[in-house]
Amino acid sequence: MTISPIIESIGLTRDFKNTRAVDSISVSILPGELFGLVGPDGAGKTTTLRLLAGLLDISEGSARLAGFDLGSQPEMIKPKIGYMAQDFSLYADLSVHENLSFFAEIYQVPPAEIRSRSERLLAFAGLTEFQDRRAAHLSGGMQKKLSLACTLIHQPQILLLDEPTTGVDPISRREFWNILTELHLDGTTILVSTPYMDEADRCSRVALMYQGQIVECDTPARIRGKIRGEMVALYADDWHQAHRVVAGLPGVLEVQNYGELLHILVDSADRRIPEIEASLASQGIGLRGLRAAPARMEEAFISLIRRLEA
Amino acid sequence: MSFRQLMAVVNKEFRHIVRDRSNLFLVLFAPTLVLMIMAYTLTVDLQHIPIAVLDYDHSPISRSFVQQITAGSDLDYYALASSMEEIEDMLMHGEIKAAIIISPSFSQNLLALRGIPMQIIIDGTEPESGAFALDHIGWRTEEFINDALVDQFTAMNISSESLQPIDLRVRTWYNPSLKPRVDLIPGLISMVLGFPALSVALTLAHEREHGTMEQLMATPVGRAALLLGKMIPYVIVGLINAILIPVLAIIWFQIPFNGSFLLFFFLSAIFLFSIVGIGIILGVFIRTQAAALALSFLVIFFPGFFLTGIFFPIAAMPELVRLEAMALPGTHYATITRGVFITGVGLDVLWPYAVMLAGLGAVFFGLAALFFRKKLD
Repeated sequence: MTISPIIESIGLTRDFKNTRAVDSISVSILPGELFGLVGPDGAGKTTTLRLLAGLLDISEGSARLAGFDLGSQPEMIKPKIGYMAQDFSLYADLSVHENLSFFAEIYQVPPAEIRSRSERLLAFAGLTEFQDRRAAHLSGGMQKKLSLACTLIHQPQILLLDEPTTGVDPISRREFWNILTELHLDGTTILVSTPYMDEADRCSRVALMYQGQIVECDTPARIRGKIRGEMVALYADDWHQAHRVVAGLPGVLEVQNYGELLHILVDSADRRIPEIEASLASQGIGLRGLRAAPARMEEAFISLIRRLEA
Repeated sequence: MSFRQLMAVVNKEFRHIVRDRSNLFLVLFAPTLVLMIMAYTLTVDLQHIPIAVLDYDHSPISRSFVQQITAGSDLDYYALASSMEEIEDMLMHGEIKAAIIISPSFSQNLLALRGIPMQIIIDGTEPESGAFALDHIGWRTEEFINDALVDQFTAMNISSESLQPIDLRVRTWYNPSLKPRVDLIPGLISMVLGFPALSVALTLAHEREHGTMEQLMATPVGRAALLLGKMIPYVIVGLINAILIPVLAIIWFQIPFNGSFLLFFFLSAIFLFSIVGIGIILGVFIRTQAAALALSFLVIFFPGFFLTGIFFPIAAMPELVRLEAMALPGTHYATITRGVFITGVGLDVLWPYAVMLAGLGAVFFGLAALFFRKKLD
C-alpha cells in the first residue's frame, strides 16, 4: 500500500511584477514528515510557504494539501493547516491568553476543549506563568513560541513555518526545535524554512531552494554525501594568508572560511594534509591545527550554491 | 457567516480600542471636540461690521439717521468721512466693510416726501459681511423713514393712525433669532460622526502593516465575519458620540431639540453603519495607515463638508455633483439631524432618508465584501 502525500505541488509557480519568485516547484511530502526548506535569502522560501498557506494567487501549476486543491479550495485547506509567518504577527496589545483565545474562536475549536488545549499549549511552550502578559512585552523567543501555540490551537495536520527561529537566542532556538520534534513524533507534518544548517540537519528531508527552484531534495545525510571530496579543517595564525596559499594547491576543490577557521574540500584528505602542512610551513605561516573533519550540511550547502553560481 | 468568528473579531477590536488610552480618548471625544471647534470658528454670527458715513447734508435729521443706523450692535460707526477719497481709502485698507453717502438734499427731500437720495457702498471681497451690512442698513433706513413720516404727519396735524406708512414684517420660522449655529450644529454632527469611519480604515491598514492581516488570512475566518466584526465596535463607539453630542449641543450651545431622541439614536445607528461602510471599503484597498488617513479626508471629510448641504445648498449644485451628494450618507443624515433637532419631525417625514442610508450602507458593505480577498499582493 502506498501512502499518498499530504502536500503535493506540481510546477507551482508565482510571478511578481518583474521576477519569478517561485519557479515551477514540484514537491511531494508524506504525512508525518519534518521537511526543511533551505536556501539563501531571496531564494523564494517565503513565497513558497505563502503559496501553500493560500495567501498568494498561483501564477502557474497546482498543489494539493490535505486532499484539497489549493487553487480552488483554499478555505477548505485553512482549517487543516497552521501557518506561522516569519515576522511576529500576533496582536501586541493583547495578552498571551487573549491571543490564544482569539485564534481558538476563529478556528472554532469546540468550546469544551478550549481550556484544556490552551493549558496544554501554554505549558508546552513554557508560557503558563506569562499568560496575562501582553504579547508586546514578551522576549523574541517567547513571542515565537506563542505564535506556534496559536497555530497549534486547532490541532492542524500540517504546519507551515517560515523561519520560526530567525532572530531568536540559541537556547530558545533549541527549545523551539525540541517542541517541533515532539510535534513531529506525534505525527504532525511540518514544512519549515530555515537559514540554519544545523536545523536543516534535524529534518527528515531537506529541499534546497535557489533562485525560485528546488535544486536538491533529499535526506540530510544524502545531501551531505553530495559534497565533492573530503573535508579538512585548518586553523592558522594568519587565515588570510593561509586561504590564499591553500586555494592554489593541487587537489584543493574549495575553501570556505568560518571566522578564522578554514574548511578545505580536497580530493583526498590523507594525501593532502601533509602537503598543506608543508606549503604553509614553507610560507612561514604558523599552524595551530589541521585535521580531517566530517562535512556538515553547512559545507554541503555552500558548496552546492557555489557550483550553481559558477 | 460564523457567529463565533464574528464575536471573536468584535471582542478583539473592542480590546484594541480600550487598551490604548490615548486612542480611547480620541475615539470617544474627538468628534465632540472637533464639533466644538468647528461650531466656534465656522458660525457666521456677524456683528460689529464697521461702516463709515459721508454726510453731505449736515442736518439734524441726517445726524439722527446715522445715529439710528448704528444704534445696534450689528453695525459699528467707524468714522465720519469728509470725502469720497477717504471712503475709498478706508475700504481699500479693510477698515470698513460698507459706507453710506448721504446727499446734500437728504433732509429736504425727506420732509417733502420725495424719496431720499442716498448711496450705499459695500466691500464685495467679503460678500458675507457686505450683504449683512446692506441688509441691516436697508431695514434700519426703513425704520427711520417710518418714524420720520409719523413725526412729519403729526406735525401737520394728520392723525398718524389713519395712515399706515409701510408695515413690513419679516418672520423666519423655526430659528426665530436667526442664529447661524442652530442650523449649523446639527449639520456638523453628520461630519464629526465620520470619525469612526476613519478609525475603521486605520485599523485594517494597521493589521496589514503589522502582519496580523497575513495571519488572519491564513485562518478560516469568514470575510463577512471579519469585516462586520471590524465595523460593529466602531458603530457602537459612534453611538456613544451620538449621545454625547446632542447633550453638548443642548446644554452648551442651547440648541433646541424638538424631535424624539430615540429616533435620533436609531437613525444615527443607520448612518454610522453606512459611513463606517465607506471606511471599510477604504480599508480593503489601502495598505498603509498614512494612505488611510489621506484618503479618509478625501473621501469622507471633504465631501462631508462641501457636498452634504451643511454650508452650500445641494439644489444649487451641478447635476453630477448632486448625484454624488446623494451617494454620501452625510447628505441624508444632515437632513435627518436638522429635522430632528430644529423642526422636530418624526419618522413619517424622515423615512425616505433612513431608507437611503440603509441602502447605501448595504451597498458599501456589499462592495467591501466583494472586493476583499484573503490574499496578499
